[in-house]
Amino acid sequence: MDPARKLALFEESVMPHLNAAYNLARWLTRDEHDAEDLVQESYLRAFRSFETFEGRDPKAWLLTVVRNACFTWLKKKGQHAIEFDEQIHSVDDVPDAEAALLNQAALGSLNDCLEALPLEFREAIVLRELGELSYKEIADIACVPVGTVMSRLARARKRLRQCLEGTLR
Amino acid sequence: MNCETARRMMEINDPALPRHLESCPSCIVQRNARYYEAPAGLERNIRQNLRAEIAPPSFWRWSAIAASVLLMASLSWNIALLRPRVDPVPADVLSAHIRSLAGTHLLDVPSSDQHTVKPWFNGKLDFAPPVKDLDGFPLLGGRLEYFDAHPAAALIYGRRNHSINLFIWPAPATPDASQTRNGYHLETWSASGMTFWAVSDLNEQELKQFVSLYRH
Repeated sequence: MDPARKLALFEESVMPHLNAAYNLARWLTRDEHDAEDLVQESYLRAFRSFETFEGRDPKAWLLTVVRNACFTWLKKKGQHAIEFDEQIHSVDDVPDAEAALLNQAALGSLNDCLEALPLEFREAIVLRELGELSYKEIADIACVPVGTVMSRLARARKRLRQCLEGTLR
Repeated sequence: MNCETARRMMEINDPALPRHLESCPSCIVQRNARYYEAPAGLERNIRQNLRAEIAPPSFWRWSAIAASVLLMASLSWNIALLRPRVDPVPADVLSAHIRSLAGTHLLDVPSSDQHTVKPWFNGKLDFAPPVKDLDGFPLLGGRLEYFDAHPAAALIYGRRNHSINLFIWPAPATPDASQTRNGYHLETWSASGMTFWAVSDLNEQELKQFVSLYRH
């Protein structure tokens, strides 16, 4: 493809989703500067592999690139060192340490509660409620089955509720 | 309860809000969670990056590439020059000496008679190593040795309980030298188109005496 034409196509289809990309990166990294860098990097990466994207939804595709960049970066930074085990972490028996952490982090606002969610829960909520993506799209982005997305969302909501309860009480 | 109600509850910190979250958590988040818009300038930066990505390399970029190629070439050349060129011969000679003493193969031709040892090399070597009887350093015999695939003569002399290996092979002349490796003394010199290496655990003074006797 002619580079100028490729650029025009790319900008037309991918640029409109800049806010969605930044919002996701900002929520995942919880840092504005990191989010900005990662979004820039993701756009370059997306542009380089634009030929392979064909026919997929540009927004979901871009968010996949952003999400992967954020996860890689968080892992490098050591923030995601503790692997999250869906089977072990059931919300019904939140360990004391985690409950304490939640209370400590629950500083009175929904945003704080959302920030305090485990990464995978936060990802699901942000993509679903703020990114307005379908379960299927979220499943593709996070590379997990749809059922996992649904259970993550349910648990995330339950945690949010607990967090807000702790705050409002 | 609709999302508008939930939002109001949120604003006034209504204790009933948490219960509502279970029935309609999505609307709470949708209505109240912060949506971070891309900061000003991010889009411009991205567009610039993308343009740079498709732009053909400029003069300066080519210059930079050329400069780094030159730098790499110069670096590798200098590293090659800096790397000490280790002469493998002394180590080989010493290994041969130690090997001959460690095993049972010290002598191919055990003889204290130079007229027996010298002819023994005939047909085995394409050069004639000078075999000499030396006062105080009895000749014990000879052996065929290989260094880096070229054959060499090894003459074995004794001094009390010490053995001296004298290795001889044809080679261009090199300056006399002596060195000590791992407690062994090595002496080398050249004569009549051959190079000589004497190796022993004998003390340096006596080894030098041996060399000087042999050479005269």
